[in-house]
Amino acid sequence: MTDTNGPNATAHAAAVSRRATQLFEEHRSSVYKRADRLFARLMVAQWLFGIALAFAYSPYAWAGKQASLHVHVYAALFLGGAISSLPIVLTLRRPGSPTTRYVNAIAQVLWSALLIHLTGGRIETHFHVFGSLAFLAFYRDWRVLLVATMVVACDHLLRGIMWPESVYGIANPEWWRFLEHAWWVLFEDTILIFGMADSIREMRAIAVRQAEVEALSERLAHSEQEKSRSLDVALSDLQRSHLVVLKTEKLAALGQLAATIGHELRNPFAAVRNAASYVSRKLTGSAAPLDPKVQEFLSIIERELAVSGKIIADLLEFAREREPQLKPCPLLPLVDEAVGLVNAGRVRIDNQVPRDMPVPSLDRDQFRQVLINLIQNAVEAIPSSATNGQVIIRGELSGASGVRVSVTDNGPGIPHEASTRIFEPMFTTKTKGTGLGLAIVANMVRAHRGSIDVKSAPGNGATFIIDLPAAIPTELA
Amino acid sequence: MGYLLGMRSGPSGGRIRLAWERVRGSLLPTAAIGIWFLGVAIGVGALQRYKSSPAPEQVPPSVWPTASQLPRVADKPTLVLVAHPRCPCTRATLHELSVLMARAGARVTADVLFVRPTGVATDWEKTDLWRSAEAIPGVNVRSDEGGHEAALFHAVASGQIVLFNTAGREIFAGGITGSRGHEGDNPGLTRILTLLSNGNAESAKAPVFGCALSESRDLDKKGALARLIDDGSSRSEGRP
Repeated sequence: MTDTNGPNATAHAAAVSRRATQLFEEHRSSVYKRADRLFARLMVAQWLFGIALAFAYSPYAWAGKQASLHVHVYAALFLGGAISSLPIVLTLRRPGSPTTRYVNAIAQVLWSALLIHLTGGRIETHFHVFGSLAFLAFYRDWRVLLVATMVVACDHLLRGIMWPESVYGIANPEWWRFLEHAWWVLFEDTILIFGMADSIREMRAIAVRQAEVEALSERLAHSEQEKSRSLDVALSDLQRSHLVVLKTEKLAALGQLAATIGHELRNPFAAVRNAASYVSRKLTGSAAPLDPKVQEFLSIIERELAVSGKIIADLLEFAREREPQLKPCPLLPLVDEAVGLVNAGRVRIDNQVPRDMPVPSLDRDQFRQVLINLIQNAVEAIPSSATNGQVIIRGELSGASGVRVSVTDNGPGIPHEASTRIFEPMFTTKTKGTGLGLAIVANMVRAHRGSIDVKSAPGNGATFIIDLPAAIPTELA
Repeated sequence: MGYLLGMRSGPSGGRIRLAWERVRGSLLPTAAIGIWFLGVAIGVGALQRYKSSPAPEQVPPSVWPTASQLPRVADKPTLVLVAHPRCPCTRATLHELSVLMARAGARVTADVLFVRPTGVATDWEKTDLWRSAEAIPGVNVRSDEGGHEAALFHAVASGQIVLFNTAGREIFAGGITGSRGHEGDNPGLTRILTLLSNGNAESAKAPVFGCALSESRDLDKKGALARLIDDGSSRSEGRP
């Protein structure tokens, strides 16, 4: 729908009007130039015709039996050449200019006069004047006709004064006789000017229509571009969705594999751990001094069993697909609880969740695991040598009453290449990590219909941001 | 003048170029158009002047020359047109003669004499003008060997007409074109038509526009030929 009122419509109409004026002027200029070229050719043709006419009609003047070239021949050659010269030069040098048009008008009327002379004043040649006016009307400029008419009137006025018999056939014509001759020229002028006015009106109408068509085409092209852009965006979204689906399928397969491995390893692992515990107790409980080498190997077995247990636990946690059971869960104590379960070492952990923060609905166990994993990850990101390591947990309301939880550390930050893959399972930058901690976090956040992102600049720590949507019901604490 | 001041004040080539551009852009075209228009106007004026310059005026014989071999009828005025058979200007005269004959042919006898100079080829005078004259109803076309008859009628330029009344007295002498070789209304034709319609006995004249009938400059002036004619006229006086 086009807005037919208001400032947009006014601006559109003004733009169309400006373009229409421009198109009209361009059209008129092309008409002028085309008519100039026509007259340049006509000037050459009339010159050649005049010369041919002089040679055919009055080649010689006679005195008895002696002949000499007739004055008409000289007039056709030189006067005709002079009349035609300037219009041709102006057409070549200044096509479309008013000067060229007016000179063409003067020259064309002069050619009428010369041809009338060359044909001995034949009445038929006088029609050349009227034909010339019709040709001059090609300019569609009434001023051109006015110039031509003035030249005709001046010619008759001057010749009527100086050689009245040659014009009127009597020696003492009335002073207004030149007007009688000019009247018929004016009569034709009037008709031609009406015709030209119609033609100009049509040119203006064509220009307006063309401007409107151009404006419409532009709007359509713009609309097509918008559609094309929308299609590109949709296609891009589709490709992204496709990648997500592929990734999800891959994760699902990985989860299945993890579940199988974890499940199959859990029982043998429990047996190995029990056996190792038994052997350790027996060896350390005996009176005989224990070989230091044995003691060292027992420690290795115990440590590696703990690591393996953690891996199996992570695999099982990652593979577990449990829908979150959402219940109102105050965030501040949940963060405190998670902090209490993390081995922070020398790193200071600061819970900055506001006390008056609205209570979100969360799956308490899952979100505690999320917080533990994120805080543990942040603590482990800070080098053990650092003396001012700090992790800050914040909570706040986000847009449309959603909840934002962030965990920030002041470690060395995450390289850009790693930040794009950091939530993929089995991806880790740590030497001892399983690569499942953040993947588990991402899974659980997605299960809460939230999103997680990481912002990091190398050397300036990292911040993990969880946004939980407003769809998660909240209530004031 | 601005550009001249700019040049005088001295300065950079840029200002001089700018001034030259202004001169070239406006003054030169205006001057060229003015010169062109003036030149063409002078040319047209000169052409018009040439075409409006009549042959030297001649004193016609006051009565029908008795030496003439032309027949003259007594019941109608007789019109004698002396013409050069190759003069392009005479084409307009014959056109006007055809108009005259169409309007008053029944009231006049017309003779067209084409002067044939001595020493020219056979049928030299039988040109398109001859055929045009022959085509005019009521006109007798004759050849004037050596211009003898032309001399009798004091004609020195092609297109000279002498009109005699029924008594053999000259009542009109001159041409019937408004300018050299120019068709259209003209004083000579108007006067002849008036004379033929109301029988006015007063002599009338009109300028003659046409080629010289003889290459002798004496013919253009009232010299030997005029004296000869005068002598002939005086001899024929009183014998119509």
